[in-house]
Amino acid sequence: MRRLVEFIRSIYVVVLFVLLEIAALSYYARSTAYTEARLLSRTNSVVGGLNGLVTDMSNFFRLGRENRALTTRIAALEEELARYREADEAGRLKVELRTMGESKYRMTEAAVVSNTVGRAHNYITLNRGGADGITNGMGVITPDGSIAGYIVDYTEHYAVAVSILNPVFRGSGTPEGSAYQGAIRWDGRNPHFVTLEGLSKYAEPQVGQKILSTGFESYFPAGLTIGTVESATLDEVGTTYTVRVRLSADLSAMNNLIIIENLDHQEIHELQQSEVIKNLETL
Amino acid sequence: MHHVPAYILLFIALSLVQIFLLNNLVAGSFLCPLIYVAFIILMRLDTKPIVLLACSLAMGMLMDTTMGVAGINTIATLLIGFLRPTLIRLVSPHEDLREDGIPGPERMGVSLFWSYIVAMVLLHHTLFFTLEALSWGHLFRTLIRIAVSSCATLLLVWLTERLFTAKISARA
Repeated sequence: MRRLVEFIRSIYVVVLFVLLEIAALSYYARSTAYTEARLLSRTNSVVGGLNGLVTDMSNFFRLGRENRALTTRIAALEEELARYREADEAGRLKVELRTMGESKYRMTEAAVVSNTVGRAHNYITLNRGGADGITNGMGVITPDGSIAGYIVDYTEHYAVAVSILNPVFRGSGTPEGSAYQGAIRWDGRNPHFVTLEGLSKYAEPQVGQKILSTGFESYFPAGLTIGTVESATLDEVGTTYTVRVRLSADLSAMNNLIIIENLDHQEIHELQQSEVIKNLETL
Repeated sequence: MHHVPAYILLFIALSLVQIFLLNNLVAGSFLCPLIYVAFIILMRLDTKPIVLLACSLAMGMLMDTTMGVAGINTIATLLIGFLRPTLIRLVSPHEDLREDGIPGPERMGVSLFWSYIVAMVLLHHTLFFTLEALSWGHLFRTLIRIAVSSCATLLLVWLTERLFTAKISARA
């Protein structure tokens, strides 16, 4: 009798273990990168505040470097501004300036609350949320104009962005001065490199050439820096290049980022999802 | 039951260190120590299997929600929580060693204690990083991640054990 009780006791722990593991495994199997982003942004209301405190402290020690970077950026912008002023006075670029003045992009600065580079799926958590007008699909760039990711989920005060170091990141890039483009993808290995796939053989990428954003995904404006060509290999059939791109943004050292809102994003998205397009696809 | 408050404190302390310090650690893509397993490792030797399982579940789920990984921590932690009694029986064949108290080098001997924590940490990290990578394409890279992170975790577990037992004996 005692043996029977012992047996049942040992068996019920095993059964419970198996059931719990099955539940956890099926939850994991059904999860997507977006489930993970959702989890992160939900727990952030609790963890975010304290995490922000820790980040603030480490940011303090990086202030010097950040300041230098900002100053050089301001200098570059001042220079550009001066050039436009000059042009305006000369009255040559009046028409172009008017269209630029009504830019379809709006920028918001944000501080990084937490950020990973070492995981298989990396996310950036920012201290701006729905209350600051943040919505899904906004681009995230570094202050020196390099692509870092785009927003996939947000709460009232926080937002989570898919980092460019995430296999689900969707983007495209083009070598500077070229009309050809390819898909940007991270292979999950090195946080300093991404690959540009499917670039036409006619693009002939040169080592050191800049890779810029295309603006096709409507997360980012065209012409932002992604990185520089480290090496390029032609595939076996000789039709496309796979380019190894050294990222210009150091994803492991980011304190402040800029969120870009494309005011036309919603409109483009709705148009792409329209009934007419859907009907075409079913044909 | 007098040791329950000490374990609640340990749970909170390990969670805080993991969430706010180690999860924000940016030190290359290979180093990712998971100190929270120390909670399961340092549970008293006479802890009932069902209690171990419940604690593993609680710790695993807390880590999943704060790290934003769906289920991996729970899967790996449940496994070591479940296998712990078997592992202890394997590494320390003497009955009297398993009676009660916190697992530690004084009770189990330095080499037995190390083989116990190495087995627990390796088991946990292997499952964790394999599930995280979820492809054999990065096998070599995953192996390095398991090795590097396990070493870091082992050191942290050892430190935690020293601190935790020092606290307990000071209070007694």
